[in-house]
Amino acid sequence: MFCRNQTSRATVARGSALEMEIRRGKFRQSVFMETPQDSDIQKKIDYEIRMREGACKLLAACSQRDQALEASKSLLTCNARIMAYMSELQRMKEAQVMQRVARRSSDAGPMDDRSPCKGKVAISDLRIPLMWKDTEYFKNKGELHRCAVFCLLQLGGEIFDTDMVMVDRTLTDICFDNTIVFNEAAPGFELRVELYSCCSEDDCSAGSTPRKLASKLSSSLGRSAGKKMRASLEPGACSPTSNGGGATILLPVPSVPGPKYHLLAHTTLNLSHVQDSFRTHDLTITGNEECSYWLPLYGSVCCRLAAQPHCMTQQMMSGCLRVKLGGEPQGWTNVYGVLKGTNLFCYHQKEDMEANVEPVLTIGINKETRIRAAEKDPQSKAQNICITNQYGGEEVTHTLSADSREDTQRWMEAFWQQFYDMSQWRQCCDDLMKIELPSPRKPAIVTPKQGSLYHEMVIDTSDDIGTVTDILTRRMEEFELRTQLGSPPHWMSLFEEDPPRSPLNHQRLPPRSPSPHLHGRPPRSPRLLSSNASLTSDSDSPSSISPCFRQAWSPDSSSSLSSRFRPRTLSLDAKLSTLRGRGYGGYRCSCQPPVAGSVSPRPAQTGLSCSSSTSSSSSSEGSNSQESELGFSRPSNARRSLRNLRAKLDPRNWLQSQV
Amino acid sequence: MSFIPGQPVTAVVQRIEILKLRDGDNLILGFSIGGGIDQDPSQNPFSEDKADKGIYVTRVSEGGPAEVAGLRVGDKIMQVNGWDMTMVTHDQARKRLTKKKEDVVRLLISRKSLEEVVRQSMMQR
Repeated sequence: MFCRNQTSRATVARGSALEMEIRRGKFRQSVFMETPQDSDIQKKIDYEIRMREGACKLLAACSQRDQALEASKSLLTCNARIMAYMSELQRMKEAQVMQRVARRSSDAGPMDDRSPCKGKVAISDLRIPLMWKDTEYFKNKGELHRCAVFCLLQLGGEIFDTDMVMVDRTLTDICFDNTIVFNEAAPGFELRVELYSCCSEDDCSAGSTPRKLASKLSSSLGRSAGKKMRASLEPGACSPTSNGGGATILLPVPSVPGPKYHLLAHTTLNLSHVQDSFRTHDLTITGNEECSYWLPLYGSVCCRLAAQPHCMTQQMMSGCLRVKLGGEPQGWTNVYGVLKGTNLFCYHQKEDMEANVEPVLTIGINKETRIRAAEKDPQSKAQNICITNQYGGEEVTHTLSADSREDTQRWMEAFWQQFYDMSQWRQCCDDLMKIELPSPRKPAIVTPKQGSLYHEMVIDTSDDIGTVTDILTRRMEEFELRTQLGSPPHWMSLFEEDPPRSPLNHQRLPPRSPSPHLHGRPPRSPRLLSSNASLTSDSDSPSSISPCFRQAWSPDSSSSLSSRFRPRTLSLDAKLSTLRGRGYGGYRCSCQPPVAGSVSPRPAQTGLSCSSSTSSSSSSEGSNSQESELGFSRPSNARRSLRNLRAKLDPRNWLQSQV
Repeated sequence: MSFIPGQPVTAVVQRIEILKLRDGDNLILGFSIGGGIDQDPSQNPFSEDKADKGIYVTRVSEGGPAEVAGLRVGDKIMQVNGWDMTMVTHDQARKRLTKKKEDVVRLLISRKSLEEVVRQSMMQR
């Protein structure tokens, strides 16, 4: 089966005792493998196996449904990753064997063709619309039929999962807020998106069938059978299920009790789907209405799929050049050239580039550029490179010359590679698409039930006035935005701490020092203020509709108005609570200096400063949300950066297209 | 222009014929659209009924073919060359407007001010 000679490659049959021993760490895998990539993958496999064991233990041990769902999800992801790594390992072994065979038979094989550069591919803001019907109501009378769903995204050897979302009848879309970035993607990539769901009511118990099936398959497989298995594991065909169904199980799968996820829908995205804005794609739905994990999907998925090829983000080539403009025979200038993206930047000297000084000359290198090596200049030793571009209707030619022959050759090679990359990556090279790296997780406010704001607004008798005044305040703010009146209506005077003034008063200072009145009544106000803080932070979340609506409506005054929202709410309620304490119980209030809690406004204020800065930046764009160009004109740099800000603020923009 | 699902829709519409302008390889109309059944209708600043998922004109470029033909910002597009636009996704709408083989698009658009005009003229009788 294998020889102990270190220079030969060993085949370790799957599921064999040797493999088990290796996995248990008795033998180092490197004894049998020689290449570093193999050991790399092996380390990853070991890691995933350990994760999987941990997930199994957790699944067996946990009692709460939520924990069980999360553990089951990580189990599925670990399985998927293990499959992917093993198939990659197998592929690498095959390649090694082929190479050896080729070497032995002195068959040179095909020359390495030019290979395109890799790139980063990011998918974000997945949204899957649902289509609930009346029958749903009748089928599940009384209780809410809930499912836990998540998405598994696979590109090449990388597999990521999104967070889990609980879905029930009150949701119209399944939204995943994660941004997933794949780092080494070739232009021919295939990104497989799979939606898994699990019914959240019944306890699914694992039968004994999976165990039998797994043990049958875990006997050692020969090479051809392994090849067949691997073919079935090719990305796009594999859907790892943790219940042991199908022939895709190669390792003995521990059958664990607990919730099991099932594949509900899938789709495959590739380079043609990449665009700098949101697009809708079709989903292939597996499963039917009879399944417990069924959800009525509309049949499409919206997401933003962006790609940044390395030829656009990295310097592909740099070096000293001499440039001659136009047709002048004498005008040679020494520059330091940097080829990056769709431009060749020429700086005076290398230090300028590092110091971010503007380049002396920028030559566009894009699909329309023509580059050729000119005849040998009798004066210099090397050939000249002529770059011709069309600016408007005119042709402009720049002539470059490198110092030596080899340099010229290297520059030409770099240009050819750049053209090849651009032809492979197509629309991604027109303009640099922004990819946001997922920020480190902020502790999000976890709501126990995913519902509308109505579920969260608990109106009990003691908080009565607080919440009602909140509603009134919010209505009033929207009313102001809509009409942009110069003077507030007369009932607004109730909500003013100071004598009524224009609502468009700019630059009111948000931070308010705690007034001495607060100390007099500590027990009541902190509780009320904390509840207000939670409510206002709800309205802070980007998924609520009203802030977005505000941004769309009032481009000019939103910054000043939004900076006024929160303090008024807090002080208003604090004031009313003090009034209630005095036994007034009504809306009539005397003007008092604002009572702001010392603790809670600070988080609200930091949120405040963030929101005012973001709303001011969004307000500067007016009511245009994202626009997608149809290859008509290239957006300017300013619009691009604004678009990034917009995309950052409001991931689910209302899409606009230019026609 | 709210509608009751299942009932026929009546609206006051205007016909607008836009001749596409050729710019190199592209045919442009000179306006932007927003909306669609796959978009969030509450973010539409032009619709009266915030549950209306129709296609609205959000921007008209100055001097472009759309402006010349009489299209205005805030118009709701009901039909394009006979194809319905009240129940389409955003991408379907865009595709129906940007067919390369068609040099002219004939739109049926509805506008709040048109209804006002009709109502005024009816009241005056």
